[in-house]
Amino acid sequence: MGFRIPRIRAVGVIAAAALVAAIAACSSPGSSTSSATAVSTAGGSSLTVGFIMVGSHSDYGYNQAVYVASQAVATSVAGVKVITADNIPETDAVTQTMDSMVNDGAKVIFATSYGYFPYAEAFAKAHPNIIVLHQGGYLDGKFPANFGTYWGEAYEPVSLGGMAAGGLTKTNKLGFVYAFPISQTIANIDAFELGALSVNPKAQTYIVNTSNWCDPLKQKEAAAALLSQGVDVLTQHQDCQSTVIEAAKAAGKYVVGYHYDAETLDPTGWLTGSAWNWAPLYESIIKTIMSGKFTGSKYNANFVGTFADHDNPLTLAPFGSSVPASLQTKILAEEKVLDTAGASVFKGPIACQNGKTLVAAGQVMTYAQINSLSCLVKGVVGTLPAS
Amino acid sequence: MNGLEETMIGGIEGGTAILLPALGELIGERAGVINLGTEGCMLVGALSAFAAASVTGSVVIGILAGLAGGAVCGLLHAWLTVIRRADQLASGLVIWFLALGVTSVYGANYISATAPTLAIINVPGLSKIPWVGPILFEHDALVYTGYLLVAVIWFVFYRTQLGLVLRATGERPEVVAAAGRRPAVIQIAAVTIGAALSGLGGAQLSIGYVGNWFNDMTSGYGFVAVAVVLFATWKPVRVLGGAYLFGMALAATSVLQAHGVSVNQYLLDAAPYLITLIALVTVGRRGSASAPEALSRALARTG
Amino acid sequence: MTTMTPAPVKAPTPSRLGSLASRSRKRLEGTGWQRLALVTGAYLASLIVFGAIAAQQGANPFTVLHAMLSSSIFGGGSLDQTLLHAIPITLAALAVAIPARAGLVNVGGEGQLIVGAIAATGIGVDIGASVPGPVSWIAMIAGGALAGAVWAGLAGLLRIRLGVNEAVTTLLLNFVANDILLYLTYQPWKDPNGLGQPESKPLAIQAQLPLIFGSQLNIGIIITVVLVLVVWWAVKHTGWGFAIKVTGGNQEAARRSGLKVRSLMLSAMLAGGALAGIGGALNLAGVETQLRPDITLTFGYVAFLASFLARHEPLKTALAALLFSAIALSGNGLQLSTGLDGTITDILLGLIVLAPLVMTKREGAT
Repeated sequence: MGFRIPRIRAVGVIAAAALVAAIAACSSPGSSTSSATAVSTAGGSSLTVGFIMVGSHSDYGYNQAVYVASQAVATSVAGVKVITADNIPETDAVTQTMDSMVNDGAKVIFATSYGYFPYAEAFAKAHPNIIVLHQGGYLDGKFPANFGTYWGEAYEPVSLGGMAAGGLTKTNKLGFVYAFPISQTIANIDAFELGALSVNPKAQTYIVNTSNWCDPLKQKEAAAALLSQGVDVLTQHQDCQSTVIEAAKAAGKYVVGYHYDAETLDPTGWLTGSAWNWAPLYESIIKTIMSGKFTGSKYNANFVGTFADHDNPLTLAPFGSSVPASLQTKILAEEKVLDTAGASVFKGPIACQNGKTLVAAGQVMTYAQINSLSCLVKGVVGTLPAS
Repeated sequence: MNGLEETMIGGIEGGTAILLPALGELIGERAGVINLGTEGCMLVGALSAFAAASVTGSVVIGILAGLAGGAVCGLLHAWLTVIRRADQLASGLVIWFLALGVTSVYGANYISATAPTLAIINVPGLSKIPWVGPILFEHDALVYTGYLLVAVIWFVFYRTQLGLVLRATGERPEVVAAAGRRPAVIQIAAVTIGAALSGLGGAQLSIGYVGNWFNDMTSGYGFVAVAVVLFATWKPVRVLGGAYLFGMALAATSVLQAHGVSVNQYLLDAAPYLITLIALVTVGRRGSASAPEALSRALARTG
Repeated sequence: MTTMTPAPVKAPTPSRLGSLASRSRKRLEGTGWQRLALVTGAYLASLIVFGAIAAQQGANPFTVLHAMLSSSIFGGGSLDQTLLHAIPITLAALAVAIPARAGLVNVGGEGQLIVGAIAATGIGVDIGASVPGPVSWIAMIAGGALAGAVWAGLAGLLRIRLGVNEAVTTLLLNFVANDILLYLTYQPWKDPNGLGQPESKPLAIQAQLPLIFGSQLNIGIIITVVLVLVVWWAVKHTGWGFAIKVTGGNQEAARRSGLKVRSLMLSAMLAGGALAGIGGALNLAGVETQLRPDITLTFGYVAFLASFLARHEPLKTALAALLFSAIALSGNGLQLSTGLDGTITDILLGLIVLAPLVMTKREGAT
């Protein structure tokens, strides 16, 4: 009864494996035809830089922004070779990938996802001669000499996008699709609503989550539910954005993007968005490394790019054709305000949904406070699970 | 439009992606073969449909490609289980794994690509019926295909010679053989057609409802389809109910939130699967006992 | 009184296609050398098809092979990584093997690994800083075993009491386990010092599994090896193991010869679940040290394939799990040296397990 398995099978597998191993051992790795680059040993100062991404490099979102910048840096900085790996999950797999990159000659690694932090830090400690940069926004701490983390004040351009949404909505209902209620997302939702309120005191932001950073079916259902509520501008904090953009397009509504300029997906509906422009930051970091000045530099720490410092890697995406000139002017003026020291999206008075004062009049939230936000501001419709 | 109506509309749209593979699986299981690779065949169908539609610009070709992709997947399973007599559950799972790998590799170029999607068609006249009209008759072509298929399958199963032979193959293939038919051929056909429907369900996801291709975009819904057939005790109309029930549970998570209802998102996320488990338990022993006999024997032989 | 299942029907007259199949099956028999050649050929065919796919994607198949071998075995630190990952995969594979011998299909390795990790985290974070290391380790492993057993036992109970197919229920439970994991890491167990990231508080150093002297491997390896041997002995040399085998072979005959079939089936599921739970706990305490979403993602399914390839024989299952761990892990390095997407190794795994399916030699009739 059941299968009778020839013991022969085990021998067969071993024989096949042995044959294969023999062939592999004898073949040289130099016969690669791939696009990955080997470290060039000619002309001394070539630096191999690795970039690790958590999702697909063609997701029209977060990871594509990283990829595009990595390729830009390869051409704009002399003597730099770039290798990339995408779809690396936030598990031990990233340690392996870093190991592989080092084996391929990488001396600098950019680990570009929040969840890579513990692995990146541990790797940096274990390999003092490799410089590891983590992209994701952590607070200050004691960093090893070869490690740094960087991010940008993401909510700044998000609030500008909110202004565009608030200015163009006819139903006064905006929709926000998010993944998980982490503080950075809450900050984005709040900033979006605050921006909308500044041009439209009646604007409300409805929120729906998908429990996933990129599940297109859930994104579509979230978008559909929001549209059924009468929402006429959609935005999101997901890793990939094409589904939400296309849902807006199909319904003939507006959309504000995040991570990447995806205007081409929906030219009439696209208002604006936040787009990562990592290349200048990557370039600056790499040049600092190449000049041997990394340790002790501002990058050997928790670096936060801001509008006020004129180095925020998240920028305002180009406006779509639907945004009237007067609104564009208003938004750009507000951007100029944020460009000055001391300005903030979160300046009081701001109240939470339940009426409690979040920021008193005349006060401004610190970066640390913003990154531990847990209250939704008045005007946001929907609740967060208690944290 | 109130929350209940939204949930039902979303439930039907998303539920179709479960209904079509479930109907396909129903056909195969009625013939005595279970296909756990339904999830894989859905993925293959979803990618084929998307790629074809994207390249040719035609949704019709996309739908045909979805059917074809699913059918190829089904043929492999049919060959392994009916001709090579391999373990049905193992074969299905291996096919799923292969499909996962193949669609990830070949689908990489289509992530975030655009393809034409199915248009929403309001059925003239019927969609004006108050309350019921917008819920049932304002969908894309594949949703309507789902409705029709349930009726067709019911009719074929219970009112035609073909259906009788199919069901007999699932109960007593030896009797069918003695009567001069070829159960193996019937099983191969059933599994292939069933998998083609799974491919169509995948197409509903990629070019119907969602309009995108992403890795593993079926997220386990193919397995849910298999579970639906089980708790629907192999009856077409119940399969319809079960699939839409699951679809509504999925849609409800977004609808509730958009209405500002405070809910535990993780519980809501798990709810569709929990509901399926509860349904299986409710149907219980009586349900399992009503399985097509050849199927029970195939499942009992595992190990 | 339960109804008797009908007696098995006698062999049907084979259809024309069926007789073609049986003729080709007969060709499989024959001399030992012929069979060896056929089996080797089948596995080589898997590799060749894989190579062809790699080539079609623009990579040199030999480079691919070299890259895979180097990132899983020969490269610096690779073998350690492979062995560490083999811990949960091997135990999850045994979790498939034991129930399979009883005639049950346990596809719930994913979920059982997760609940094992959850239990270990709950216990480890709670007591880890205040008790000596060994106490934590034992408690975490025991907790993991219990959690895994319960998770598998749920499906087992549904099967023996209601006849609900356990392949489907264990699969559904995987999704539920994942949602529980998400809930815990994003909500109540979220590390307040983790800066908003979904992770639990880290285990205190003494609660983490110690490394084997002089290497990067932790004692989980030793525990796993011991468990493999225990399972082998239990399955091959105890009355229970024999009873399970008989049950898996023919339930009706087993029942008639006085075996308590339902208890045996449940005990097999419990044992399997416990093993996977231990795997999840060992992985957490030794490698991850913090609970996160995506912990052990896809390990359970890889383990299923490994057990199937090894026909659920414990020692061979462990070897197959090791091989599959290496293959599964080799994907990440592929991107860099060949430009191929890492998931292409899923295709290789599927092809390898396809080979025995194709070569199935079934005794008996439908």
